[in-house]
Amino acid sequence: MHIIEILIQSVIIGALVGFAVGVGAARMFTAPKTQALGAFRTLGEMNAAEGDPASHFSFGLGFFFNAWASTVGAGAFTQDVTHRVLPNWAAAGLLVRYKDKKIIQNPKLMGLTAAVIGVVVVAFLNVTSSSIPESLQVTAVKVLVPAADQLINLVMPILFWLAAIDAGHRSGMFGTVFGGLSAMIMGNAVPGVVLGILVGKGVDEIGWTRTTKIILGAAIALFVLSGFFRGFDLTMLQQFGLGTPSWLTNLHGVFTVK
Amino acid sequence: MSEPTQPTIDQPTSKDFWHADWGFVVITTMMAAGVFAGTSMYYNFGVGAFNEVAIVAMLKAGIEGGSYGAAAAFGASFLFARILEGSLVGILDLGGSILTGVAIGVPAILLSVGAKPLVQNFGLALLTGAILGLAIGLIIFFVRKFTINQTKATFGADVMMGAGNATGRFLGPLIILSAATASIPIGIGSTIGAALFYAWKKPIPGGAIIGAMIMGLFFPVKL
Repeated sequence: MHIIEILIQSVIIGALVGFAVGVGAARMFTAPKTQALGAFRTLGEMNAAEGDPASHFSFGLGFFFNAWASTVGAGAFTQDVTHRVLPNWAAAGLLVRYKDKKIIQNPKLMGLTAAVIGVVVVAFLNVTSSSIPESLQVTAVKVLVPAADQLINLVMPILFWLAAIDAGHRSGMFGTVFGGLSAMIMGNAVPGVVLGILVGKGVDEIGWTRTTKIILGAAIALFVLSGFFRGFDLTMLQQFGLGTPSWLTNLHGVFTVK
Repeated sequence: MSEPTQPTIDQPTSKDFWHADWGFVVITTMMAAGVFAGTSMYYNFGVGAFNEVAIVAMLKAGIEGGSYGAAAAFGASFLFARILEGSLVGILDLGGSILTGVAIGVPAILLSVGAKPLVQNFGLALLTGAILGLAIGLIIFFVRKFTINQTKATFGADVMMGAGNATGRFLGPLIILSAATASIPIGIGSTIGAALFYAWKKPIPGGAIIGAMIMGLFFPVKL
């Protein structure tokens, strides 16, 4: 029976993820002294709720509905489940019980509370959305997939690109070069622009140190390797009207996995 | 979204599990095991992936017979950037590193080289995820050990977060546009749903999807 299998797996996943989210979020308040797992936006939003359990709860609830719609439609929880729903609901639960603002900085309590909430939320999302009628799923796919395609292929590259340009001359330059290369090699500009921001801002902040040189080297290696494995070199030689040397074709033959 | 807030240091670091660096390794292991298993559920049942619709769609493209390239490159480079940044700023970005890198990028790579059981089998998926999480945790553990307090650089993390948040804002209008091209009833449903959610101060995409689906139930369309 599918539903039982989904339920059992959801409980395991919910407990693991919930616990880690709770501990990771509580540790954010003392970062960078304690290494945390979460996101800056989560920290900002949790601070914005100012220890009010109702604010934490309703903030999470808004994103919960969104996550539910997205799970029913496309099977995707959205990152909001781990970034917003679980940490804020765990915080709300603890604040109701202890009435002390600092309580959400306690990794143990946050971890255990979020684990319980994680089990309930993940099981609920998966079980309800795996039992909806076919016509709903068709509609969801028809509406969501084109929207998602445009988001990935057009909106995200442009926004990241503009952010790189606005962040300074150096990140704009690296972002533009890596972005263009990445669009050709990887089929999407975002990874390249992200690496460009990483290198550009890194050099802006600490100069050409060993760390930034290693990052640049690793970025270039990433491009070279993914270019090779995606056959970018062969396609490029072909499109420039140059012949492909047989040793190169043979080398590709060695690594072809399909 | 609110501005990223500077982390405050007002508590002494104790060396117990809950605050020590090795505790971090444990939580990345658990987190990665959980979300990787979530991807396994998505592969088997079509529900349970811990990521945005747009990002899961890249993996879906591969599962349905297309190329895994976009998902693999996108996930892997995010993972790389986030690990580096995470050890430097003290907060490992969950979304980029584990939700996208481990749960989308790595499965795409594994599936493209034919290591299907690692994703398909729930138990193996838990184990694979745990190993990946352990590796990430250990890398950060050692980077922190050797570079702690050497640098105050953020490597543009704020820039990327800003762009990432801005992307989310585009999804609502894009869904309505896409619904409008699917059919007129679905377009109307989507518009009304989004308007209601906006009036209730909820994120627009949720309303747009629910509205579209309700109308799709009464006026079905074909794929």
